[in-house]
Amino acid sequence: MGFQSQVEKAKHLIRSRLCNPNFIIKPLSDSPDSNYSKLKFTISSSITEACNNSILLVGPRGSGKIAVLELVLNDLLQEYPDTISLIRLNGLLHSDENCAFKEIAKQLCLEHNLLFSKMASFDDNSQFMIAMLRECGLAHKTIIFTLDEFDQFAQGKQRLLYSLLDAMNTVTSQAVVIGVSCRLDVDQLLEKRIRSRFSHRKLLFLPPSKEDVQRLLEHVLSLPMDSSFPHDYAAQFNGKLQNLLADDRFKEIISSYLNSNSTINHLVRFLFIVVSFWESKSGFLSLENFKSALSSILRQPKQECIKDCSILELYVLVCMKRLEVKEQNSYNFNSVMKEYKSVQDSFQTSDYYARNVCLRSFERLIQRELICFTDNRAQGQSVEFRPVKLLVSYAELQEGLKSYRSCPIILQKLMEH
Amino acid sequence: MVKEEILQITRRTTRSFSSSAAAGNEAEKTKISEPYNPTLKDLVFGGNHLNYDDLLSSFPARGVQISQITRLLGPLNSPMLPIFIYGGASTGKTSSILQIFRHLNRPFVYASYRTCYSPCLFFESILNQLLLHRKNAVNGYSSSKRCEKPSDFVNFLRESLLSVINDLKVNSGKSSNKLAGKPHGSMVYLILDNLELVRNWDKSSIILPFIFNLYDILKMPELGLIYISTTSPDTYYSNVGYIEPIPVYFPEYTEEDLRQIFMRNQANQKLYSSFLDVVLKPFCRITRRVDELSTAFSSLFRKYCDPLNDLEHVPNEEMKRRMFSHFQPHIAPSLNEIFWVPSWPSLDVQPNREKKQKSGVKKSRGCEDFAELDFHMSTSAKYLLISAFLASRNPATLDASLFDSTAGSDSRKRKRKASVKSMEQKEAAEQELLMKGPGTFPLERLLAIFQCISSVADDPLDEEHENCALRFESGDSGFMSDVLMQLSSLCNANFIIKGGSCPLEGSTRYRSMITEDLALKVARSLKFPLPNYLYRR
Repeated sequence: MGFQSQVEKAKHLIRSRLCNPNFIIKPLSDSPDSNYSKLKFTISSSITEACNNSILLVGPRGSGKIAVLELVLNDLLQEYPDTISLIRLNGLLHSDENCAFKEIAKQLCLEHNLLFSKMASFDDNSQFMIAMLRECGLAHKTIIFTLDEFDQFAQGKQRLLYSLLDAMNTVTSQAVVIGVSCRLDVDQLLEKRIRSRFSHRKLLFLPPSKEDVQRLLEHVLSLPMDSSFPHDYAAQFNGKLQNLLADDRFKEIISSYLNSNSTINHLVRFLFIVVSFWESKSGFLSLENFKSALSSILRQPKQECIKDCSILELYVLVCMKRLEVKEQNSYNFNSVMKEYKSVQDSFQTSDYYARNVCLRSFERLIQRELICFTDNRAQGQSVEFRPVKLLVSYAELQEGLKSYRSCPIILQKLMEH
Repeated sequence: MVKEEILQITRRTTRSFSSSAAAGNEAEKTKISEPYNPTLKDLVFGGNHLNYDDLLSSFPARGVQISQITRLLGPLNSPMLPIFIYGGASTGKTSSILQIFRHLNRPFVYASYRTCYSPCLFFESILNQLLLHRKNAVNGYSSSKRCEKPSDFVNFLRESLLSVINDLKVNSGKSSNKLAGKPHGSMVYLILDNLELVRNWDKSSIILPFIFNLYDILKMPELGLIYISTTSPDTYYSNVGYIEPIPVYFPEYTEEDLRQIFMRNQANQKLYSSFLDVVLKPFCRITRRVDELSTAFSSLFRKYCDPLNDLEHVPNEEMKRRMFSHFQPHIAPSLNEIFWVPSWPSLDVQPNREKKQKSGVKKSRGCEDFAELDFHMSTSAKYLLISAFLASRNPATLDASLFDSTAGSDSRKRKRKASVKSMEQKEAAEQELLMKGPGTFPLERLLAIFQCISSVADDPLDEEHENCALRFESGDSGFMSDVLMQLSSLCNANFIIKGGSCPLEGSTRYRSMITEDLALKVARSLKFPLPNYLYRR
């Protein structure tokens, strides 16, 4: 096997690891006080003790809630193969109650080899669910409901949550409801009748600690020392990786990235870009890859936008800024043009264009979302008369002008007074 | 020009066409008689294979982005995280991503929210492509699956993706020799274009997070997601939130980039280069968008070449100077015009011409007597337009004094009053006019003014409005229905806008949208003294 193909293979391996959340989360779930152990304990105890339970997994988006849950569920499915049936719902898809009940019925039918009727009504489906809960309770089978984007279910009448939790309290059922949400206040969104039926177990997912990050990096980036790679290549690769991980400059890069984006998924995204920068010619990951990945992912969108503008567009922006400095609380294209004309009259620059050309550049600015209309309804008014506002701050605009290539000096002067 | 050509080929709507055209013209002919049966081949771009160097050379100044994207897409069959391509309009986002896929020859599905303007259309368009379903007369132009809800869509999508990926795997395993046009790999990529339009949908607060979280919802490593948007990821605010996809930024072309782009495929490189020396710099101060520049340049270049009788000629220094002096007077006016139809014969284009007004109006070429006005309109429609303009600009309380001779003294009094006003008040009123825009008016007022001014004009000697009231009474009512027709066609042409009805009166209110310049022009073509009737604050 050639060196080049080994590198390709290593790259492919790491890329597929990065796209597999279950693999990533694994090293963080060994310790007894990890969320993984807690969650597994809770669910497995409610399976063995045949009781109902409900639990909330709460944490910022991308902190690995679903991945941990999947890991736990996979383990439990292996441990208790015949006593669990899984129902998965997602708030983005099934926030509509009708749709949610239909989906539950469908998944229950699929699980228990029953015939699913598409024509079944809302009422039929909810009756069916309650009946199934009872049957499963009698057969000592646990139904696990995972509700992703739990906060979406807490909108509107919350009928799904109510009938689910109510059935669990009255019927001799055996079910676990697991809500996953990135809103910390999600239990406050619940109605009183639901909150009282909900057991208030919450698992909080925090950003990984420094040691966790270190372990995770090693886990994801190192090559396996088994037969899949030639021994000396894998050893060399892992040795270089160890050196890299111990490097202070490397640690600085990682921490400067994690300062702004601290969750596991953000880290994964960063590593993915690093791997994409990894040239096949050099067989090993280098510090340069991390550096260039960092510079490509930390962006300043407003500065980019200002850099994209033409000189005329900058004039329009500066004129709007001047109007704002003059404390004119509401302005539209006409007032901007008045300001533009007065600027041009007093300074006699070469950049004096016709009204229509300015209007076109004004529309381009709206497209770029550097400015926007203050009112959302279009109500038959043409662009010229609708009040607008700037979406860049004074400092951002000033900074943008300074870094703009060949920016007329007059513009910077106009910004100052 | 050059750029446009590339764009035209790469437009995805023409993709199926170009793939069938590659097979020959007969494929196209048979399409009419018997339905074309799509295969897995239709999931790739088709056409001739494009190697990497050609890819880079066909997109000048986009090398960085193209290599970034190809690196993110990775080698064959390697999974990827979603990427988000963004950059201003006409910076080559869509065309370069499609050409990259042509180069890679991997299966992909393209949907633009420009054409799929509702969730239902979007879902069905993706599913149709994946299920290799084509709407035609046999199936009554129906979609393969009826799908309105995101939950149904996810189920269908998962099913169809699995079957496509399965087919692809079988395909690649079966024959090791590479057939032309056979898709490479077993990854399927979804390209979602014009994502920024989704924000204006009714249910955008649900759909947008759904689209962004599609990768996490499906959990299929064989799926690659590529979003394309004109605005940066920061403009997608939502209270649900999502993990930002990997950003790839297409910056606006710089002046040097634009020179490279415009120099491509030019017959006479030296000549065009000297042309660009003259025009590129001033135009770049206004805009750096390729599409706008190329329309402006195509007509200007013709003017630039006027003194030359041989386009193959390579100009020397002296010739260049001569051409420049000939050409220079054209630059400044062309900077100040925004919309120019090349087929239009008249050379003295009015600088203040709005495209909005033009678009709705049928143009006629041979009307010499309305040389100023570049569209044809009936006389009564013109009067209607002017009266709408007056009704929008003048306060309703002044109507009597302006159009009724008996109240003439009153108007003078008012005028004096206005002049007494302090400067500050006047400025405030001016400001208000700037902010508020043209006022609204009920239909009755419009018709009253219309009758007044059309009767004034009937009598050419009648400079003052003496017998205005008299004629008002004698106006026949048979005239009315025609006027209403004219009004509705003016509304359709966007000259007059039908506003919301007044909550107190309940009648529909109108608003005139034309500029003062256009109104004056229309009035001049009728020889109507519009300024006399215009109330100046």
